[in-house]
Amino acid sequence: MTAFRTHLEFLRKTGDCCSLERPDSPSPQVIASEALRADGPAVRLGTADGRIDLVSGVYGGVDQLRRQTRYPWTRLGIGLGVDRDPAYVDVLEKIATLGKRVDERDVTYVERAATTTDRTVRDLGFPTPPGETWPHVTLGVLSVGTDEGTYWTPLHGTVIDSNTIRARIPETITDRFERGATVSIALGVPAEALAATQFLTITDRLSTPIEDRRVGSTVPVIPTTGGVVPSSSEVVLEAEIADKQPDTRSEKRAFWEHLLEGTTLTLEVSSVFTRDDAVVPFTPLGVPLTDDLQLVSLALAARLYDRVNSYWGVSPVEWLLLPAAGRLGICVVSTEVLYAGFEWQLSNFLFSFADCFDTVVLVDEHASPRDLGQVLGDIWVKAHPARDWLFSGSDAPVARLPTYSREGTGARLYIDATWDPRWDEAYIAPRVSLAESYPPTLRAAIRGSWAEFGFDSELDELL
Amino acid sequence: MAVTSFREFLDCLADADALTTITDDVSWDLEASAITMLANETDDRIPVFESVQSQCGETAARLVGDPYRGPQRRPWEWFARAFDLPVDPGPAYYEGMIERLHDPIEPAVIPNDEAPCKEVVRTGTAASLLEFPWPYIHQGDGGRYATLSTLVAPDPDSEWGSWSRHRAMIHDDSQASLLFLAGEQVPNRYYFEYERNDEPMPVALTIGAGPAIEATAEVWIPVGRSEVSFAGGLRESPVELVECETNDLAVPASAEIVIEGRVMPDERLDEGPFGDYFGYMNGPRRSMPVLEVDAITHRKQPYVPFCVEGSGVGYGENSTSTFAAAAGGPDATLGLRAAGFDVEMAVPWPFTSRTVWIIATEKPYPGALHELANFIFTTWGMLHIDFFVFVDSDVNPLNPRAVVEAIALHADPDTDFHQFGVERMPKVPLNIYQTPDEKGSAAVGTSKTKTAKAYIDACADGTRPAQSIGDRDAREQARNLLSQAGVPESAFEPSHTIDSSQ
Repeated sequence: MTAFRTHLEFLRKTGDCCSLERPDSPSPQVIASEALRADGPAVRLGTADGRIDLVSGVYGGVDQLRRQTRYPWTRLGIGLGVDRDPAYVDVLEKIATLGKRVDERDVTYVERAATTTDRTVRDLGFPTPPGETWPHVTLGVLSVGTDEGTYWTPLHGTVIDSNTIRARIPETITDRFERGATVSIALGVPAEALAATQFLTITDRLSTPIEDRRVGSTVPVIPTTGGVVPSSSEVVLEAEIADKQPDTRSEKRAFWEHLLEGTTLTLEVSSVFTRDDAVVPFTPLGVPLTDDLQLVSLALAARLYDRVNSYWGVSPVEWLLLPAAGRLGICVVSTEVLYAGFEWQLSNFLFSFADCFDTVVLVDEHASPRDLGQVLGDIWVKAHPARDWLFSGSDAPVARLPTYSREGTGARLYIDATWDPRWDEAYIAPRVSLAESYPPTLRAAIRGSWAEFGFDSELDELL
Repeated sequence: MAVTSFREFLDCLADADALTTITDDVSWDLEASAITMLANETDDRIPVFESVQSQCGETAARLVGDPYRGPQRRPWEWFARAFDLPVDPGPAYYEGMIERLHDPIEPAVIPNDEAPCKEVVRTGTAASLLEFPWPYIHQGDGGRYATLSTLVAPDPDSEWGSWSRHRAMIHDDSQASLLFLAGEQVPNRYYFEYERNDEPMPVALTIGAGPAIEATAEVWIPVGRSEVSFAGGLRESPVELVECETNDLAVPASAEIVIEGRVMPDERLDEGPFGDYFGYMNGPRRSMPVLEVDAITHRKQPYVPFCVEGSGVGYGENSTSTFAAAAGGPDATLGLRAAGFDVEMAVPWPFTSRTVWIIATEKPYPGALHELANFIFTTWGMLHIDFFVFVDSDVNPLNPRAVVEAIALHADPDTDFHQFGVERMPKVPLNIYQTPDEKGSAAVGTSKTKTAKAYIDACADGTRPAQSIGDRDAREQARNLLSQAGVPESAFEPSHTIDSSQ
């Protein structure tokens, strides 16, 4: 388990988190949004005035539309303890594993790192987007304890006065809450806790206590009035549910709210706990590449990857990606084509288990998830424009995330950019690439002389 | 002041610290190409190979690997510097190019003794292609290639002939096969006029003609005009030409090498396989017209620029993909506007530049996109391009994130994907989605089997998701803060919209 601040320290040491003094203007959301636009590093905004530090871009930050040495899953994978340079599929498998049921509870209790403070929620200085009145609380976990155990959900909150938060949460969890019940909000939690919560939310598995999931035995916790929360949380708020206002909707939605129904609670915070030099993550909402979008993208990919490889008795799918740049309106899957027609089965399987996209792109099993650039070429050059762009009839359910205006039904598309399994081997065109166009001895010699030739770039990824 | 020769262009690259000169012995046999491909993939400097193994002692030609390849984030940057145009933002560069293309300048002919390309003159049997270190580019290629060459050919409608890019596979000291794909103007003239009349077509294959000429050799120009006039417009000065030794054509005086010859009727030599611009080795080996060499003139110690085809797909750039983005895009934009279409920008897709293009346009009336796509597919001889993606007129097609979002969110599979018939259109045999049987013998450079063309309407038809938070001043403040923290200013380009202030 990697505490949030340790996660940040890893990012800082690898040059993937920069620090700025938090300015009065522009707002943190503007800075975060511009950093995302630039495929920039995570950005920590510090203050010396008693407010907590804020950090954006911790869980994603970048797209794959130009060559990068880091990927949309790199920062989260580091936080999950997968590796310094985590493989994509390892990250997906880690997320799915955190959400699995365990046969026996094995909860570790560790002393709470945050200590009580007399500051109000508003004093903590959550960021307010331009043009809005209330500060936003994002990328946290809301926790409620019951006799069966603790339930965690994502939340998107707004701080409406000193100690009042209006929180959006998934509707499916509301039967765990009663008016007057107490809950806790944990911010700056380990990546395992946040990723698992997102995964359980979008897979509709919030009805099982966290102690019965792998994440419950992975992340050390501490009891609070709202159930157990991660012990290393940077900020913990204990609160009472003052009101349930299911008709209230926030204007801006966290990304998980695009996939499932949410509801609103009014919370009166009674206790505020913070660590020394507390730092919490935040994300702007509604703009490209935000952390809430990246987390949902990875959680949904983890779910679909797990499902498609648990269905046919074999595991034909190498990886599955929902590019954040497409705001989950398109799904890319790398697969072995087991037999002619498998591509149709696989595409429609994915449409059955996810309702957010209307387009699936299939690429060969040799494609790398790190090389989306190749995929964005192969779509057009490997797929025959007449034979491999395949549309369903227009009687399919309309996908949830595309924005074109349709009512009722629509069509689905899959693009088969794999080699046809019926083709002779001789028909398969070899790729032009360093590995396939040049002998290993030559590549090794070039690697040895690269700097001497006057080049600067690192070659780890390519040779 | 715009550069006027290939050597000045190299100086321009050196000034931008974009060049590295390699003095170690490097082989033309895969090694120079492998180094170049690696530089292309990693967005590193452009290599000049000063010492090429088996260099002919007297000629001592040097290789330059993908000299026109621009930076991955801004492929047009070196052209912008070479032509003294804005580097940022990309749409401003496009408008600058369009302005120059509006004003062609006729070339000027200079005496032979003033032409650098005549420093060495060899004719007849004294002229040998094997004097030069043509690179063997990929394992599996059919032979060694001249890939960055501009072919000058006669054009009855133009005083200065027709200038276009064709690669040549070297066969021996006096013969090469030329990639002539029917549907393009010069090949059409060869196949359907010269060859039918049993006449050889006089040509001059120029190597190292400089950025203005090589850029305009890639573009479509109005009938009756010559590309070299538009090259003059780009550089804002007349291109200096010199007469050939053995035919009536005029060629760039500053060229590194000029190969004069004839494309023989009813003669064919093997061409390919070759690792092509699609990023794959295409086959099968084709029979292509034969260039019979009559003379070679060149500068002393000439440079032989070459392109590692296939490395300009995906994230990589090479000379071919850069020509498409930096020259083809502005030219296509101009051409569509001239034809009356309300087009803001037409830009090749950076991940496979010659197969799909993105067009930012208005939709002034129902059917407008169909009409636009139909115009292009039929009038531009679209043997390479299979797809157009239309986006809102204010969306910046140079920003792939904006385009991916438009396709993913705004293109309705039921109503926004349109095919032009089913397999009725011609296709170059270089493609990889047809089988060798479907490609056939490619007698005039097109596949035996036809293909389909399609367009995608990825216009929003309503509101689009937010791209930024805050007003312009706030965003600029944020960018300044981030720049101070080490985020390069160039990282904020290209913007989502053509007007970067939006």
